[in-house]
Amino acid sequence: MRLRWHHLALWAALVLGMLLLPYLVGNGTLRTMIFANYLAIFAISWDVLSGRTGYVSFGHPFLIGIGAYTTAILTKRFDVPVEISIPLAVVATMVGGLIVLLPALRIKGSYFALVTLAFMELMYQLVQVIRPDLTGGTRGMSGLPTLTRGAVNGFYLSTALMLAIAISMWLLMRTRLGIALAAIGMNEESVRGSGLSVTRLKTFAFITSAFIAGLGGAFYIHYLGSIAPRALFDINFLFTIIVAALIGGAGTVVGPLIGAFFLTFLLEFLRPYLPGAERYFVYGGMALLIYMYQPKGIIALFEAGLGRLGRSR
Amino acid sequence: MLQILIQGFLLSGLYALIAMGFTLIFSVGRVLDLAYGAYLLIGGYTYFHFSQTLGFPAAAGLALAAVVGCAMGLAKFRLIVKPLGGGHVAVEISTLILAVVLQAGVVLVFGDSSKILLPIVPGVERLEGATVPYSNLLAAVASWIILLGLYCFVRFTHTGRAMQAVSMDARGAVISGIDSDRINAITWMISGALGALGGVFFASYTQLYPGMWVAPLIISVAVVIVGGIGSIIGTLVVAHIVGFMEITVSALIAPELRGVVTMLLIIGVLVLRPRGLFGREEI
Repeated sequence: MRLRWHHLALWAALVLGMLLLPYLVGNGTLRTMIFANYLAIFAISWDVLSGRTGYVSFGHPFLIGIGAYTTAILTKRFDVPVEISIPLAVVATMVGGLIVLLPALRIKGSYFALVTLAFMELMYQLVQVIRPDLTGGTRGMSGLPTLTRGAVNGFYLSTALMLAIAISMWLLMRTRLGIALAAIGMNEESVRGSGLSVTRLKTFAFITSAFIAGLGGAFYIHYLGSIAPRALFDINFLFTIIVAALIGGAGTVVGPLIGAFFLTFLLEFLRPYLPGAERYFVYGGMALLIYMYQPKGIIALFEAGLGRLGRSR
Repeated sequence: MLQILIQGFLLSGLYALIAMGFTLIFSVGRVLDLAYGAYLLIGGYTYFHFSQTLGFPAAAGLALAAVVGCAMGLAKFRLIVKPLGGGHVAVEISTLILAVVLQAGVVLVFGDSSKILLPIVPGVERLEGATVPYSNLLAAVASWIILLGLYCFVRFTHTGRAMQAVSMDARGAVISGIDSDRINAITWMISGALGALGGVFFASYTQLYPGMWVAPLIISVAVVIVGGIGSIIGTLVVAHIVGFMEITVSALIAPELRGVVTMLLIIGVLVLRPRGLFGREEI
């Protein structure tokens, strides 16, 4: 593992900047930041699985939904305290990750993407039909216990969670294990040829991704205080996660983070002009243009810009 | 029982029409067009705008929907699929983004609320306790005619045989002097027209709303996966399996469960028999 001082300095600057932010901006901006933080967590989770290993998941809301629904049902219907229900939710999501892993052992590429999409739709339909007394059916549940009060506390909690996940993933991806995961995305056969167990590596990637998704989903639902199937198992939600990771730059940790903040603030910036779902027209159009122009995302544009500056000097 | 049979045949015919456009792209272009559902959305709204808001005759509305779908298909191929140069994941992701953009575009123009499409042909036929709206009958009959036409086109015309060749082996087709770009463009146009027509019929079954593209996309995915890539016959057979399963489940068990069985079918077939029930055939 090679750590450079300027990497550490950049992370330290980010942490410090985030900590000081509540003194600089108003509560409205902080609430937007909270959503950006959670979106960043989901995008990092997607990226660990799909950005690295190349197994594109169109069913990430399936994992997030398992975590969110587990903790919601436990706290609301069985009065389990949040300290116990969130770890249980994370464990349940990791089991869900193993379920998604099963098809990935046999199929890849487009077929894997489709089967995960089917998982998400299946979950959406099942949640409404099976035991609506527990899940709240189509209307979902509200009045779930929230962890924090006020924008500032919510901001600190989500920021701490996001930064902890981002930094630990950044460190993980610099180990030999992380490099092996990225190698699967490049050429699975040659990883197997190098004598590494591809199955074990894939299992690790799926479980890590599910761990982050479960953690993010559970905390997110306890921030919102309500849950509804259409808001979770939705193609628009899936779209936001994937686009955040891709626009920022898939295969990196900082990329999904940049993408999540860029997109959340773009959406917020458009709100005065286009109040409803029409915002996605501009938002999606920009995402499509950036993706067509530079599939590696904003981070690649940024690096190219830096490189040009360096040469001209 | 008769009710299930009739409903099953009507719905399956429509599903076959919807899934066919998706299969064509998957077998000739070898990519998944996740914006396929958007043809249905745009087709349905085009028909609504021209025949219901502006008062054009129904046939003109259908023809305009097909033309718009055709143009969309060509634009999608030229502007998105071709510049990306055949990267599967890239095409899937950019078409997914495109679908969301088009959905938002429809919201921008027509508003968020759902619209009810007047029946294309008014009236119902009563048959031993089963009521069959003429609209649904028309949808099924039209689907069969269109599919028969497509089958003959692919089988007996020069362009259709070139499509078969590209779907079997793109490189080999190019070596034999087939302009694979042109064939791809034609396939995308046919797919768009099929999708848009399917959308008009689908909207007359349910209703017209901006999120209506997801369900038919999932159905097409199911049909294509279960049937195996790109066989017209396989698509027909599996469209009937899916259609009859949905009708039976919603009639005998519970209407809410109809989608669940389709999803379980997709997952089961993909995990147990990834090549589909009918394997790989030419279109």
